[in-house]
Parts: sequence; C-alpha cells; structure tokens
Amino acid sequence: MSEPIVSMQDLKYRYRGQKGFALEEINLTLNPGEFLMLMGPSEAGKSTLAATINGLIPHFHMGKLEGDVVVMNRNTKDHSVAQMAELVGMVFQDFEAQLFSTNVELEVAFGPENFAVPREEIKDRIDENLSYVGLEGFRNRPPSTLSGGQKQNLAIASVLALKPQVLVMDEPTTDLDPISKMGVFEITHRLCKRDDLTLLIVEHETEEALFADRIALLNKGRLIKVGPTREILSDVALMESLGVMPLGIPRFFKSVGVSEVPLTPDEGVEVFKSLKLQVNESAYNDMLVKEKADLEKLNDPLIQCRDLSHTYAGEVEALKQVNMEIHRGDMVAIIGQNGSGKTTLAKHFNGLLLPTEGEILVNGKPTRDQGIFSLGKSVGYVFQNPDHQIFSEKVYDEVAFSPRIRKLSEEEVNQRVLEALAAVGLEGQEEEDPFTLTKSGRQRVAVASVLASSPDVLILDEPTTGLDYSEQRSMMNMVRRLNENGSTIIFITHHMWVVAEYAKRAFVMKDGNVILEGTAREVFSQGETLRDAFLRPPHFVEFSHRLGYTFLTPEEMKACLEGVHN
Amino acid sequence: MDAEIYIDNNSFIHRIDPRVKIILFLLTFVAILLFQDPIWMLPITFLIVIQLAISGAFVNMRRIKYILIVLTVSSMILWNLFSSGDTKLFWIFSVESLTYAVARTMLMILMISAGMILITSTRNEELVNGMIRLGMPYRVGFAISTALRLVPTIVTSTITISQAQRSRGLDLESGNLLERLKKFLPLLVPVFISTIRSTNIFGMALESKGFGASEERTFYLDFEMKTSDYLVLAFGILFMLASIYFAIMGYGKIEGLVRA
Repeated sequence: MSEPIVSMQDLKYRYRGQKGFALEEINLTLNPGEFLMLMGPSEAGKSTLAATINGLIPHFHMGKLEGDVVVMNRNTKDHSVAQMAELVGMVFQDFEAQLFSTNVELEVAFGPENFAVPREEIKDRIDENLSYVGLEGFRNRPPSTLSGGQKQNLAIASVLALKPQVLVMDEPTTDLDPISKMGVFEITHRLCKRDDLTLLIVEHETEEALFADRIALLNKGRLIKVGPTREILSDVALMESLGVMPLGIPRFFKSVGVSEVPLTPDEGVEVFKSLKLQVNESAYNDMLVKEKADLEKLNDPLIQCRDLSHTYAGEVEALKQVNMEIHRGDMVAIIGQNGSGKTTLAKHFNGLLLPTEGEILVNGKPTRDQGIFSLGKSVGYVFQNPDHQIFSEKVYDEVAFSPRIRKLSEEEVNQRVLEALAAVGLEGQEEEDPFTLTKSGRQRVAVASVLASSPDVLILDEPTTGLDYSEQRSMMNMVRRLNENGSTIIFITHHMWVVAEYAKRAFVMKDGNVILEGTAREVFSQGETLRDAFLRPPHFVEFSHRLGYTFLTPEEMKACLEGVHN
Repeated sequence: MDAEIYIDNNSFIHRIDPRVKIILFLLTFVAILLFQDPIWMLPITFLIVIQLAISGAFVNMRRIKYILIVLTVSSMILWNLFSSGDTKLFWIFSVESLTYAVARTMLMILMISAGMILITSTRNEELVNGMIRLGMPYRVGFAISTALRLVPTIVTSTITISQAQRSRGLDLESGNLLERLKKFLPLLVPVFISTIRSTNIFGMALESKGFGASEERTFYLDFEMKTSDYLVLAFGILFMLASIYFAIMGYGKIEGLVRA
C-alpha cells in the first residue's frame, strides 16, 4: 500500500464570523493516481473541502481550522497557497473570473512564470498542454472570445502547466452546456487514466461519477459515506435522501425490486432481458395517445415567429429565419448548445431584442409596436443569474419593485408580493435580506419578483443551473404548478432530465435555427438529430430507447411494465 | 459583445517596445501640460491624432464618445466660470477665458487619447512587463493591469444587468434628474456585487496558480529594443525638450488671463 498523497485528519473548519462549522470530523485520504468524486447537496461544504487541499483555507478564507491537511508531506497550515500551487492545481466553476490574461498562450504561461521556470521550458509546457486540451489553434486568441467550454479547457491547461500532482476541480461543468460538459469530461477521462495525477472533482452530474474510482458523499459538513463508485451509485435511497441525483437506471431497477442493480444503459438492457421483463404495448400506446390529445388541446397561439432573424451589430447572425409558435398554457423547453441562439430567441419574446428581419407577434401584435415596458406586464423574464437583478435589502422590496414601478396602490402591491412569495415557497421571509439567502433562495426571489407583475407568460433562462438535485426538483415543481394554474412557461435549460420530466414540448436549436420540435418524447426519440445539435438524452431515456421505446422517467416505465402492479 | 480594449491589429504602434510606449506616454503628459494657449498645443495634438489613426484607437474613442461629450461641455462651462480676461464677450465668457477653456478641454481629451492609444496598442502583460523593466515592483504593475482588466468585465455585466432590470419594468429614460439618479440603484448594486464576487474568484485563481510563490519570476513575453524603438524614443525626447525650451522662453501663455 503506497503512501496517501493527500490526507485529512480530524479536519474541522469554521468560516470567520459564522457560528456553525462548515466542515466537521473529516477524515479522508487520497491515494496516488486515484479519481475521487465529491458529491452532496448545496451548502454541504463541498467547495470548502476542496479549498482546504491547496491551502485557500485557511490562508485565503480566514477562519478557524483544526486538524491537518497534508499533501505530500506539506502541511497546508505551514505553506502559502502559492507554495502549494506546484503540488495542487485548482479549477473553479466560474470560467470567466479565473482567466485573466490577454491571450491563450500567456494564460498558460502565468503559472510557470511564477515559479521562475525558464522561458524555453514554458514554451514546451504551453505546447504540450494546449494540445492536450485541444486549443493549439487558439494560441493568440483573447480568452474572452472563446466559448464557455473552451474557457474551462483553457483553465485546466493553465493549471496543468504547473505539473501538479493533485488536480482539484470545483464544479467545473456546472455552467456549461451539454457539449462543453462532454468536452471537459473527455479531458478528465484522459486525466484519470494518468497515474501521475490524482483527481478530486466536485460534481453534480451523476452520470459522470461512473468514471470515478471512489465517491465521497458530503452533507452538512460531514462525510456521510465514502466508497467504491458502484457501491455508492447503487444506494439510490441514500443518494435521494441527501438530495443528490441518483441515476435513472438503478432507480428503475430498485423500484421493480432488483437488488443487484445495473448502472449503465448497456448493463440495464442486459439485466432487463435476463429478468425477462416486458413492456405492455397497449399501456405504452395508451400513454402516447393521451399525451398527444392533451397537447392538441393547447391551440391558442400566444407567440408567433415568422421568418424571425436577428443579426448582432450587423455581423453575427444569431437567428436565421426562425418559424415557431408557442401556445397558451404550454410548458416549453428550448434546448441547444451555447451560442445556438436560445437566449437571443427568448429575448425577442419580451421585446428586449427586436427582429432585424421577419416578425414576432405576442398576443397577435408585433412586439415592435408594444415596447418592452408594456410587454413586460404580460411577459416576465427571469434571467439566469439572480445576482444580476437583486438589489434590495429586503425580500419584500425586491419583489415589490415591478408592481411599484407600474404605480399600483400599496394595497395591491402588498397583495401581489404576498401571492408571488407564496407561489415560490418563501412565505414569511419578507423581511429577510436576499443576499443572505442560498443560491436557490435568491433564484426564488428572482422568480417571485417577476411573478409579482402577474405575467401570462414566464420565461426562465436556466432556472436549475447551480442548484442541487432536490432544489432543481422543487424549483421545477413550483414552475409546473404555475403552469397548471394557467401560466405559459418557456424555459431554457442544459439539463436534459429536466426537459424529459417537465417539458410538454421542446424546441431544439442549432446555429440559429430550430432543427427539431415536438413533445419531449418525440424529441428524445430522435437520437441522431440530437447528437447533431450536440445534445444527449439522459442514460435512462437511452436505455429505454435501446429496448425500442422512449420512456422519460422510471415511474412511467414501471407503470407500463407487464406483470408489475402498483 | 466584445468589451476588450486591446485591439489586436499589429500596427506600427503595436510593435513599438512597451517601455518606449510608456515613456512616450509620460512625455506626452508633460508636453500637454506646458502650454496654456491652444495654438501651442497643436503640434502635440497633431502627433496624437496620427497615433490614434495608426493604432486604430479611434474605435475605442468612439465607444466612450458620450463621456467625452459630457466632459467637453462641462469643462467649457467650468473653465469659463473660473477664469476671466479683459476682452469681455457676454455673460461669463471673455476671449481669454474662452481660449483657456478650449486649451483645458484639449488637455483633458488629449490625455485620455494618449492613455487610450497606450492600452489599445499594448497588451496588459506587455504593459506590466514594460513597467517592471522600467523599475516598478511586479505587484504594483500587476495591480494596475488588474484594474484595467476589470473594465471589460464590468461593462459586460452592466449590459446584462440593465437588460434584466428593463425586463422588470425599469425605465431609465423618464423622470427628472433626481428620479433618474435613483433609478440607477437597481443597476449599481448588482454590478457592484457581481464585480466583488468575480474579483474574489480571480484572487483565488491567482494564488492557486502560484502568484508570488518565489522572488524570482520569468517573463514569457520577451522583447528587445529595435532601431525603430530608439528612433521613436529619440524623437519623443527631442520633441519634449523643444517644448520645454519654448515654454521657458515664455511662449504659449495667454495674455491677460485671470484665474480664479
């Protein structure tokens, strides 16, 4: 047994000015060359734990640290972050803020420069690491002109240039679209095969945990369980209870009473066949017919795009002759890679952007004639990052902003605020300071502040990004309730399982065009076209697809199973 | 939207050694400050306009045109208020004060232009590198470049934030001055908060990449003084010496100007 490369002993940490401990009784070792995935709900202390490894805690974030973190015989207490940097590389979630050079090459050079590596060698390291992450053709480009995925790849290259023994990545893909996620994961798959590098990744994407050697589950600052990947992923109940997304395939097999559950689509198909399970054809067809009939009831056009085109600054063609219709009462998902035109399209719905060619009608009238101020009353738009709009000291004032600006009476404002807060589950928190809420709390405040102008249509730009599994579920359940109460919902998302479980209809965009539209089921049955748009259905959908069906959730499949009764 | 200030068009000015550019920048400041009379400021103005054209910095000047207009108008009024002369025209204006106000306004615009030329044609790293080789401590140089780097970040987040607030009904175009100022609060707070947040991550990323790990540091970017750099530098120094000579000889003053 070789010496562990990282060892944490009786680690305890409290942020300065806080009462509770962010980490408690952490005992964890990392062996050379292994890949450990750290998972857990929001606020569990994942980032905090990650930050102890290179000494950001206790040197950058002041606070009270007890116990020891030792990396290759260096105790982080006695070494500065900069000194630890040659052993431990760190990649952050925010790919904008961690890059600061004016071109790609210099970004990679920055680390080695700090350690006085000779110029010739820096050059070699730049060459090696840029080609490792596939950015050799971008050497002289400013990082700001790269896509999100490329930025994150660059961040990885710039850290690898220091030749660290341990690489820590804190939610490297949370803000990325599916294709960019895959790009980053593809790099990590190669990294974890290298035995000279030990990987610790904090991640929400359970499907990616399959590549890890071990998984550590963290909750409320304590390690709940650390074990081999298969053992942890099979424990569906534990993961669900912690608010970590379990895989769909083991979830399905657990629900039909299998104890040794398969994890991947391949294994799933095998076990399904060996157990001689069968889908009841007529039950399946009934489900499809009912779904179709429900959707056909929605036929009152609310938003109509006719040859809608938008060109930025007379150069970049973001939308190319889009034709689409969204009906009143629908719950629509818009999906596609970053830069495919999703957000540009959505910003036309409330008049933030006007078409450069073609037209868009909302409620039968062109948005150009309505203007954003009056259109804003019927079409609400929740931006992706709640921190881009929250400015008040009290939740109440934040939510009251729109109604007050529209000069409603205080009585009416009060009623609207209370209704909106009730709808997002924040009753009784009117006096709270929104900045002290969690990300999910702030997201809810943002939704409430848009709901308060009681719009008919609610547009949500990536409402689930940055939330953990149970927060994502409760956010989407809330959105679904709004839809059931009559609001039309349009959401942009990168989370395919959210589309599978919550969207009635989906539009797939690529290069400024809508290339696919239909029910979520129809869209996910078009594997080829999806791949073409750089999207990938969830494992569970893929598994059902291999069996010749398209099921969106384990529950749905179980209900259609031959011989299984609920 | 591209909010970068540096424009990568490899002009003659881009290729000048950053050390020379920094020295020229400082010399330009001295040359601008020497004279009160706009006529005497014309030579330096001419040089700056040529540099703006060659470096392509006009694009960046156009981006800040509203700021420039506001500065010009307010400076023209203020300098007339705070100075006077014998040849009265009307109200606060006299020939002398008007001339002086034109000169002061030119001074301001020229200084901004000189700065703009420098940062349009010089990469952040080159700038830091140049400053350090001229004797500035690395950390100070890095701090200056960080401040410059923040500008595009703030511009980009301001655009997003103003869209988010306009979607909620914020209307910046109506109301009197006080009301309008109050309306900027929903923009300023989120801009402030998101800038702090990203600066925090920036700081962590910086340390995690070994910033300040050792006293020694290599600079990947390398440059050497070329003949053309020496020529440009020599021209700059001669120009400045000539300016100083004329200023000492008493040229470029405004007769009869009284400053408050």
